[in-house]
Amino acid sequence: MATIAAREGPAPLPRLFGRGMLALVLGVYTVYTLGPFLWLATMSVRTTAEISADHYAWPKPFHWEQFRSAWVDSDFATYFWNSTLVVVGAVAVVTLIGAGAAHALARYRFRGNRLIYGILFSSIIFPPQITLISLYQILVDYNLYNSLLGLSLVYISLQLPLTVYLLEGFFARIPQDLFDAAKIDGYGDLEIFWRIVLPVGMPAIATTLILNFIQLWNEFLFAVVLITDPDKRTLPIGIRAFMGDHFQDIGMIATGVMISVIPVIIAYVFFSEKLIRGMTAGAIK
Amino acid sequence: MAVVKLDRIVKRYGGGGPTVVENVDLTVNDGEFMVLLGPSGCGKSTTLRMIAGLETISGGTLSIDGRVVNDVPAKDRDIAMVFQSYALYPHMSVAENLAFGLRRRSLPGAEIDRRVAQVADILGLAPLLARRPSALSGGQRQRVALGRAMVREPQVFLFDEPLSNLDAALRVNTRSEIIKQHHRLGSTMIYVTHDQVEAMTMGTRICVMNAGRVAQIGAPLDVYWQPANTFVARFLGSPPMNLMAASLAAESRRAASPALDAPLSRWTDAVLGSYDGRTVTLGVRAEDMMIDAAAMEGQPYGTVRGRTIAVEPLGAETLLLVELESGGEITARLPRHVVAAPEQKVELFFRADAAYLFDANSGNAIASHESGAAAIRAAVQRRTH
Repeated sequence: MATIAAREGPAPLPRLFGRGMLALVLGVYTVYTLGPFLWLATMSVRTTAEISADHYAWPKPFHWEQFRSAWVDSDFATYFWNSTLVVVGAVAVVTLIGAGAAHALARYRFRGNRLIYGILFSSIIFPPQITLISLYQILVDYNLYNSLLGLSLVYISLQLPLTVYLLEGFFARIPQDLFDAAKIDGYGDLEIFWRIVLPVGMPAIATTLILNFIQLWNEFLFAVVLITDPDKRTLPIGIRAFMGDHFQDIGMIATGVMISVIPVIIAYVFFSEKLIRGMTAGAIK
Repeated sequence: MAVVKLDRIVKRYGGGGPTVVENVDLTVNDGEFMVLLGPSGCGKSTTLRMIAGLETISGGTLSIDGRVVNDVPAKDRDIAMVFQSYALYPHMSVAENLAFGLRRRSLPGAEIDRRVAQVADILGLAPLLARRPSALSGGQRQRVALGRAMVREPQVFLFDEPLSNLDAALRVNTRSEIIKQHHRLGSTMIYVTHDQVEAMTMGTRICVMNAGRVAQIGAPLDVYWQPANTFVARFLGSPPMNLMAASLAAESRRAASPALDAPLSRWTDAVLGSYDGRTVTLGVRAEDMMIDAAAMEGQPYGTVRGRTIAVEPLGAETLLLVELESGGEITARLPRHVVAAPEQKVELFFRADAAYLFDANSGNAIASHESGAAAIRAAVQRRTH
């Protein structure tokens, strides 16, 4: 047995060295990525004057009242609600329509299938900013400019192609036999989509869900162009309101960013396992 | 009663696409275990999928129990299917997999539970009911797939190469399980395979298919002993039947070539007369080849001469690959005690009644005066000598 064990892996010393190196690399990477976030977190409980005096000092005292001030006095509650409404609505629609479209493209042979797929794919290649002016004009024409519904529709159109593209790749790998078995078991196309495709494709759906959520939650450009009313601002525009021409309230900006980041962290904590499974789907048999 | 009748069934893909199933006529009787046997791409799985309602039918009529079902959806045909890949729903437990089809039929919960428990009991799945398919072995998954079909209590069971993904030992066990369930249920079953052993051991009848057409239908031993053509003759039997070109002389009742000389005792003068002077294909199964002329025991026998090119001692028997003097190769399945070496001249013998004749152009068998049961009896006697 000892001989077999020795053959299975490298000798203990090189193995320890390898693990040590791995831990070192991971540690450096963690500090590199987590450092700015921790710095931001400390700034969120410091006043702008304190930050100006010493950028990197430890909070002393902790100004937790900044969160209350941002939430109540600076209308962050409204921005948060607006963001939630727009993003959750858009992500829900994108997921449902995207999954349906991906299933249809992956499973059904019909004239124009690959053409539609090609058009969707090509729209991913171009930067979304080039659509900004035309989208602005369309929203104005349909009285959707400066409305949360209009912004939601724009977000849906922005995220749908990538969602369909990602889900189509995953759904195409679901064995045809599963669909045939469900048909013989008595289920129709819609029920098969609902009872087989969605549950089996959940890792991929969770992946697109969280990617879309993060992307849209942080989206700034379209929101700042298409929303003008202060009471319709989403979080990223709300945070920008703390930036004046001559004065930037760094402390409140940091507090606002922390508030906006919390839902993303929660979403990631809940879906990270499925996210990883979705992203590595097909990597191992 | 569940008789499945295929009347000139055709499957053609696309507009002017390839025809993969052509004019298949087949009647599967009530309670029969019909095996569709053939090589890859012969159209057997497509035929099964048309019966299941998973493929559209391009031509002909398909009826189940007297009702034409060409345009009836799969769910309304009262059939169940077991797939090669098992096709278990990965997000459901074994119990949910078994009950999935029943729930769609709006059966009362108690009835669903009763049927699931009954099938689980029969197939030994009771301890596995809470598990997901990913936590099952290949054999267990196949039993769940079988259970999912059984629990529906359908008119017709369809099997699409269900044992192909199992290892040899499990294949034997699961084969026995399916045969046992067929005897227990007495249902009509249609089973697709490319494995002749499965076909011979499981089928009430087998339907051999080739290039989208039916090559022969019959009881396994009938097909084995009386192949309708050279394709069936070579497809059934391992090693495949040896086929050799020979010139037929009706008067002397012999078929001969530079490497072959065979008396033809099983055919009437009239049949031989119609092939007089023509080239025919003579077939002899590998197991009917002998290396010792004394084994002929005074019976008329044929001889074939060649050179050994390979010797394969398999333990229970020895396979001898021989290159004929006139070209072509044949295989002899000899007793295990036979010692031979490559590159030796060798003469093999076969009893006259072990020979088959085929038309050299069409490949169809030239009918002998022996047929059916008589041929089988004669053949079994040959093998027991």
